[in-house]
Amino acid sequence: MSDDIKKYFNGLLQKVSGLYVIQITDRDGVPLLRVSNSQEKNVDFALMPSFIPTFTTACDQASKLGLGRNKTIISMYSNYQVVQMNKLPLILTFVGAEDCNTGHILALEHQVDGYLEDIKLAVTEP
Amino acid sequence: MEQQLEKVLSEILTTPETVGALLANRQGLCLGAKGNINPNVSGIGMAISEQVAKLEPNSTLPATVCLYSGNKRCVIQKDGEITGIIYKQTATATTASTSASN
Repeated sequence: MSDDIKKYFNGLLQKVSGLYVIQITDRDGVPLLRVSNSQEKNVDFALMPSFIPTFTTACDQASKLGLGRNKTIISMYSNYQVVQMNKLPLILTFVGAEDCNTGHILALEHQVDGYLEDIKLAVTEP
Repeated sequence: MEQQLEKVLSEILTTPETVGALLANRQGLCLGAKGNINPNVSGIGMAISEQVAKLEPNSTLPATVCLYSGNKRCVIQKDGEITGIIYKQTATATTASTSASN
C-alpha cells in the first residue's frame, strides 16, 4: 500500500515541471511521506522543525478572517514557491521553482484526496 | 480592474458553438472565466500548451492545441504570458437530425 502511494506521488512529481518536493506530514510536522526529485535543488528547508507548525498557525489565523476555513496557502519566494494544503489531520506541502505552474499544483488537490484517505486512516487509528 | 478581461471573455462567448472561455496567467492561475468552464482547468490547460510548445522550440508563432472529445472540443492557445482556453460544443447528431425532421 505504502509503495503504491509513494509511486503515485512520484508520478505526480514528474507530471508537474519545476516541482521539487511533495511532502505529507501531520499537523505537527511529523513527516509521513516525502517524494523528491533528486536531480533538482536541495529543499530540506521543508523539513525544518518550524516549517509545518508555522503553516498550521497561519492557517488557523487565516480561518478567523470570516471567509470560512482556510484551505490553501501559497507562498512565493525569490527562488521557490511553496503550496501548502490543509487536509487535517494531514498537511500537504508542495515545493517548486518560482516559475512552476501553480494552477497545476492546485488542480492536484482533488486528485490526491483518495490516496490521502488511506494515510488519514493510519494517522487517526488508535 | 478586470473589466477589459470580462469584455474579451464575453466577446469570445458570442462566437458560434462556444460554451466557455478562460484566461490564465503565466503561473497557471485563472484570471477570468465565463460560461460553462471550470476555473481549475487553467493550470492543466497551461501545462498542456507548454508541453506542446516544446514540439517546435524554434517556432515564433504561438501553438494552438485542439482536443476533441465527442461533440465537445477544447482549444488552447498560449501567447506570451497569457493562455486562453475555449470550450466549444457542436450540436449532437441526434439533436441535428431531430431538428431537421421537425
